[in-house]
Amino acid sequence: MSSDPLESIAKGATKGTLEWSSDFIKKLIVKFQDHKLKFIRDEENIEIAKEQYNSGELQIYRYYIEDKEKLMILRMGLVLRKLENKGEREKKQELREDIMKKYKIQGLHVAQFVENGILNRYIGILLDDISSIEDFKEKINDIIENIEKYVVFVKGIDSERSTLDLCLRITTSNLSMIFIVSGMGSAAETIKNIEERLIVLLKDYELEKMSKGDKENLFFKRILKND
Amino acid sequence: MKNIDLNSKIALLKGLGLGSDGEYVLDLDGNKFLDRYIDIPIKVENMVILPGSVIVLDDNILSLSHYMEEFPDVL
Repeated sequence: MSSDPLESIAKGATKGTLEWSSDFIKKLIVKFQDHKLKFIRDEENIEIAKEQYNSGELQIYRYYIEDKEKLMILRMGLVLRKLENKGEREKKQELREDIMKKYKIQGLHVAQFVENGILNRYIGILLDDISSIEDFKEKINDIIENIEKYVVFVKGIDSERSTLDLCLRITTSNLSMIFIVSGMGSAAETIKNIEERLIVLLKDYELEKMSKGDKENLFFKRILKND
Repeated sequence: MKNIDLNSKIALLKGLGLGSDGEYVLDLDGNKFLDRYIDIPIKVENMVILPGSVIVLDDNILSLSHYMEEFPDVL
């Protein structure tokens, strides 16, 4: 350990002591104020947050979305994906709870939308038929603001019947270009069980499956008719 | 922060104009001090102290991400 206690703290090499004098604490605070010292608990959390802050995917979103709150939710979706890929289940669950506290269920759904890669797929579909950048931006922002009109997030307790009813209700009241049914775990089983019935019900859509692990995402894309 | 004992952390909090009941970070009135980004009480064992007028936060990815937005050049 360094003989300079301030230096030891900066290196994380001290356990602290009851003998920290008020003068010593004042020196620490000056170091904080001068941006020369920070007390962190888990370096990994900072690294994960930093990595997504600098990610190419977020840079692309920044081009189309100006609202800082929306961007933060999208960023958290990228972090959820990262944690999932690293098998960090506990951290992922903690983050889901924090997103829920801060942005309510709608924010969590948007983050899941990003986590599952569905936003990127939607952007791909929009690019196939782009009329103007402004129209493109408007559509992306609309799906973020009105996620529940485009995506049914099935929960484990939802029955097949109630899920089918909800899908039908949403697709008849909102003629959107895409419609997604998403769930994980036991909800993914419910989705698998109703897949054939959904294909029959949603005859104006073509199905693209985006399934991975214990997640099931049925991505329905409206068939454009030439009339 | 994990390496620093509880009493030193509390002494540091006092130096910052805050306090602790041994479990949570408290404000001057003895109320639980909330994480400025997600409004949750901060446990002493989970706190981080970061530059920027000296900010005490809960150590979670969402708060740290907000901090990076507000102070992009610090971490």
